[in-house]
Amino acid sequence: MGNTQQPQPAGTGASGAEAAAALAAIQRQQGQVIESVLVPGWYWWAMAAGMVAIGAARDSGDLIVEAITIPLAALVMAVLTGAMIPAVRRRVQVHSATQPGARGAAATFGLILLLDGVILGTAASLAAARVPYPATIGCAAGAAVIVIAGPLVNRYLGRLMLSQARQQMNDAPQAGGTA
Amino acid sequence: MRTARFDELIHAPTRLEIVSLLAAAQWADFKYIRDELGLSDSALSKQLSTLESAGYVEIRKRFVGKRPRTSASLSTAGRQAFEQHVAALQRIIARSQQDPEAGPAARGILGH
Repeated sequence: MGNTQQPQPAGTGASGAEAAAALAAIQRQQGQVIESVLVPGWYWWAMAAGMVAIGAARDSGDLIVEAITIPLAALVMAVLTGAMIPAVRRRVQVHSATQPGARGAAATFGLILLLDGVILGTAASLAAARVPYPATIGCAAGAAVIVIAGPLVNRYLGRLMLSQARQQMNDAPQAGGTA
Repeated sequence: MRTARFDELIHAPTRLEIVSLLAAAQWADFKYIRDELGLSDSALSKQLSTLESAGYVEIRKRFVGKRPRTSASLSTAGRQAFEQHVAALQRIIARSQQDPEAGPAARGILGH
């Protein structure tokens, strides 16, 4: 290591205020890295629009509209979803110790289950009750869920990663050190 | 047991930002670091070279298609030095809270 430090003379280093400012700067940078790997807000609205388009196409009863709109919307949603991770990974990858882990996976899986349950449950119930446009209403309900719950899950993942990063920072070295 | 060690090389404001960013990342693209920290290409190159010379940072150059891409990551030594520096900062803060009247030298802030 090129910077093997020797004990420094008294009077160098930092004051308590400087140290606190430095730690705040470190935490700010961690927050920025984590923020930059989270899904952007517009993504949830794009997914919601795609769902409503699929539902409306399904209810249109027009085979040509269905044949064009449903695969197209599904393709756009799949491409956007797929692009989220590679787009981020080309710029920065969060340290493995900071990854959200099992709790993050559970939150993401829970969101998918909730979404499927709301869409299928609403659409099936409305269809059984012979309410018009069941798929459109079901997908609109799913769209509302994703627009509200998506950013909440996103924020939860961000908080999880940030707390893990700070935990790691506090735990790794012995703060009292072998002075 | 790892020690608390105040590292003057890391503590310089711009390098502290770079190392903090890299500590949170597995690796980061050169342009990402530049944009996040609002640095010029030359300023970032200079700081990364300093950190690389100290053995704290590893620079990786590769091609994605025909485009060259440069990324940086903290080396094991760099991560250890960063963690020791953080511990030293935490200790400075703890000691200044215990004895707010004492000056830096009296508080023994150097982590050694």
